[in-house]
Amino acid sequence: MSSSLQFYLALLLVYAGVDLIACWGLNLQMGIGGIVNFGFVLFQAAGAYTYAILTLGAPAHNAGAGAGFQTYFWGARLPFPLPFVGAIVVGGLLSVVVGLLVLPRLRGDYQAIALLVVSLVASGLILNDASIFNGANGLSSIPRPLEAALGLSGLGYSWAYVGFTGVLCILSGWVVWQISRSPLGRVLRAVREDEEAAKSLGKNPRRLRLIAFVGGGMLAGLSGAVLVAYIDAWAPSSWGYVETFVFVTAVIVGGFGSNVGVAVGVVLVPIVFGEAPLFLPSLVQASWFGAVQLILFGLFTMGFLWVRPQGVRPERRVKYAGRIKKLGASVAVAGDGAGRAGERGGTQ
Amino acid sequence: MHLFLEYVGFGLVSASILALAAVGFTLQYGVTNVLNLAFGQVMTLGALAAYGVNVVGGDVWEMVVAGGLCGAAASVALNRVVISPFARRGLRLFGMIVVTLSLSIIMGNVALIVFGFGTFSYSLSTSSSNVLGMTFTGDQLETMALAVAGMVGIRLLLQRTRLGRAMRATSTDPILARACGMNTQLIADVAWAISGVLCGVAGVTEAISVSAFSVTTGDGLLLTIVAAAIVGGIGQPYGAMLGAVLIGVVTSLVGGYANPTYTDLTAFVILVVFLVFRPVGLARGVVSERGVLA
Repeated sequence: MSSSLQFYLALLLVYAGVDLIACWGLNLQMGIGGIVNFGFVLFQAAGAYTYAILTLGAPAHNAGAGAGFQTYFWGARLPFPLPFVGAIVVGGLLSVVVGLLVLPRLRGDYQAIALLVVSLVASGLILNDASIFNGANGLSSIPRPLEAALGLSGLGYSWAYVGFTGVLCILSGWVVWQISRSPLGRVLRAVREDEEAAKSLGKNPRRLRLIAFVGGGMLAGLSGAVLVAYIDAWAPSSWGYVETFVFVTAVIVGGFGSNVGVAVGVVLVPIVFGEAPLFLPSLVQASWFGAVQLILFGLFTMGFLWVRPQGVRPERRVKYAGRIKKLGASVAVAGDGAGRAGERGGTQ
Repeated sequence: MHLFLEYVGFGLVSASILALAAVGFTLQYGVTNVLNLAFGQVMTLGALAAYGVNVVGGDVWEMVVAGGLCGAAASVALNRVVISPFARRGLRLFGMIVVTLSLSIIMGNVALIVFGFGTFSYSLSTSSSNVLGMTFTGDQLETMALAVAGMVGIRLLLQRTRLGRAMRATSTDPILARACGMNTQLIADVAWAISGVLCGVAGVTEAISVSAFSVTTGDGLLLTIVAAAIVGGIGQPYGAMLGAVLIGVVTSLVGGYANPTYTDLTAFVILVVFLVFRPVGLARGVVSERGVLA
């Protein structure tokens, strides 16, 4: 394999990993928690900017050494895992603030639009005030983690980074899987299906939604850090609202609420639908290429939703009756009731 | 004071364009419950149709008619060819948003390939006149007249005609409306058509207002239109008119006194404030206590 093809493959795999972590986060909010977050990319951006300023060092240090071309409000140079941890924390904190502002007051499609608008306002602010994160030009020359310490060749480092992304994907997947099968996941689904019923059982929907929202925001922050640490530049154009819709499309195409379905959606939407047009024969004029690529993306998405409106692998109904029977006859009577509740909780 | 009036005057022109578009957007959303993100692309089509008429020598009113008809045709076609079939396949609200977004991406990029990246300008004779201390060009006065006529027309349609009552009924409870023997499919088509007329006309007036428009002009206005519709209370045409006036005038003042690059941002900040503190929108209380399209 030629080395340029290997670089391309490594980049594609990092993108896939980033999209996977992000979409699992979005699915935690949207599929399991029932919060349709059209501003999701804001939390990814927060993670990316956090990673950037925690690795670039204080802005004054950049004034010399030919790096004074960008301005940002604050910076530090922290050792390896800390910038990633910082990105997760900031993604979570921003989710707490936005969640407390938006979630209790609005429902359904209003909530979705409010979140979209919050992300647009944030993007507009950063675009207009260059002293925050260098405005439209964005931050660049963001250091890659441990690049000097590992001492690998360019290609070797790329594959090592693919491995690192893979490990983070496995960890994230384990976390979302644990959450969605835990009592917390069951209660979140119950709130999603019928808020009043959940309330009558003494659950606090407001608190539960916020937990799902913050969990998703933390994963979004992590995904942003993983992305920006590899591509080493980040600007407002990297997180337009179309990026959010790519994630939403991946979750809907894959199957609302199902973590496995979402993984399939990530492979299909950003990767196959997004990259396949690159392999088209060069029939089209070069200046039209971007347009043709987007048209095909739209057609793929619509075609797919036509064939399978419910997604590739919709969320499965969870049945507890069988499991409970194993526990013994003494709880079988109670188990019958729980089984019925479980079936309801599993439907959309 | 003079400057203030100029900004208010310009804001009223923006508000007129926004009102035409936002009422069209919200009327169709109210009746069909589909959030149509391809709305901006239909606006662009209307503006391009008017450009065609302008090139062969039509006057402003012929251009507006062409824009409106083109918008209506495109809008009904969207519903018949894409939206309705997908709805019959059982696609729900958020799936449908993904469909209209894909549609918008496809339409925008096809337009880019067909009409190119360049800009178009109408050749129109301009005159200017002074009204209440505000200076308007003839085109701006026509834009405001069109908006007022459109708003009065929509009000009469919804309140005084059987069709208007049927649209309000479909909006409030489509199943009950069908059970009462209304042809809800036809009513939805009419809603798409009226929305398309307003959309096309808004596209033409926007193109006149910006003086040089491109294939991305309509889509660039989409989120401001959605903001006006939501500030007014989504699905409520009278609210959308108020929302359009509020957003049009405030953004013009901010753009004039502070920084022109903050106009879009101002519209979104107004929207966030409304969503957080008054999520039902302006319409409830100010205009009506009843339901959607009431």
